[in-house]
Amino acid sequence: MSYAHPEYLVDTEWVANHLADAKVRIIESDEDPLLYPMGHIQGAVQVDWFSTLQHPVRRDFVSKEQFEEMCSKLGITNDTTIVFYGDKSNWFACYALWLFQYYGHKNVKIMNGGRAKWEQEKRPLVKETPSYARTTYSAKDADKSIRAFRDEVLIHSNARKPLVDVRSPKEFTGEMLHMPNYPQEGATRGGHIPGAVSIPWSQAVNEVDATFKTTEELVALYEGKNIKADGDVIAYCRIGERSSLTWFVLKYLLGYPKVKNYDGSWTEWGNLVDAPIEK
Amino acid sequence: MSLPPKLQEIVDDFASMSREEKIETLIGYAESLPPLPERFKEDRAKMEPIPECMTPVFLFGEKQADGGVIFHFDIPPQSPTVQGLACILATGLNGCKPEEILAVPADFFAPMKLEEAISGQRLNGFRGVLAHMKQTAVNLMEK
Repeated sequence: MSYAHPEYLVDTEWVANHLADAKVRIIESDEDPLLYPMGHIQGAVQVDWFSTLQHPVRRDFVSKEQFEEMCSKLGITNDTTIVFYGDKSNWFACYALWLFQYYGHKNVKIMNGGRAKWEQEKRPLVKETPSYARTTYSAKDADKSIRAFRDEVLIHSNARKPLVDVRSPKEFTGEMLHMPNYPQEGATRGGHIPGAVSIPWSQAVNEVDATFKTTEELVALYEGKNIKADGDVIAYCRIGERSSLTWFVLKYLLGYPKVKNYDGSWTEWGNLVDAPIEK
Repeated sequence: MSLPPKLQEIVDDFASMSREEKIETLIGYAESLPPLPERFKEDRAKMEPIPECMTPVFLFGEKQADGGVIFHFDIPPQSPTVQGLACILATGLNGCKPEEILAVPADFFAPMKLEEAISGQRLNGFRGVLAHMKQTAVNLMEK
């Protein structure tokens, strides 16, 4: 059984065959920012989650205008096919893809397996940073159908609609409040949003080569926890990055029509006055 | 109390670097982090990594005859930033006495302005590794 929307995924071979394709832009988005300067796929540009995609002042993403400026500088047009890849099983690649979708970019793909698989296959990495002729990119208004905000998460929780907590089991139970020494990612309360089920994000990928699991495995994983295609699903984690991978899996690999990523996630909910919490 | 001289030197070096030089120098440190000596491999298998975000970091400390501490790390090459930060700490603190290590302020790296190169969030790892080096130093003092 193939994925619901296989066009959102390409393999490393496809990327290797499209390095010189002017209609394709390859974007590396990593958790570790030194990986790109140490070596990347030829022609790939770097989009750093923290320095490029976050709003410089408030807790939000770049504005529509800032997003347009970033894309224009990277030589991306509205028709460019963008292939994202990265480290850590593509979690930041999925985060970047999610944000590109938020601002309406249509042709986006994930390179299955990310950096891990590319390196395992001993494919070449280069150090030269490419530069592309500036374009005039025009973004769409933010697509709020893929992003959940706290008020709707509360309504969602009260209505006992499907919520997926993709953090580690100890974060879900509240045993671990936050990653030690990660002061900005802390929460004053531990536990999970009432009604959420625990499906750690990493269960959707194969440990060996970071590729996604098969449709059958994914169906068993999510439907087994009652996260089904006919529901309105919201996924969350600590800052919204791991849950964007789960969002990608549910939306494009399993084809669930209504899936949102709650990027406020536990760093918002666990600090929110009066928010209900289950332990 | 001032920083141990070697660590102070690294802090001063970084303070005067451009963004590009910082990235290059960090990569240099990452690439020069020595592999974990064989004699630790057995203990390594029994240990829990420092709970870094997604990066399994293993840290060992050894007390020298003169009371100085030498640190050894095992960090996967997929995490060069953490490798680089750990190597800076090892280079700056290896051979120091536990008291000197404990006296290093948690925010000693602020003048390095590393956030120009790797964004503030990633510096949490710096604090985390330093905190564990201090804990290791305390444990060695008690031995």
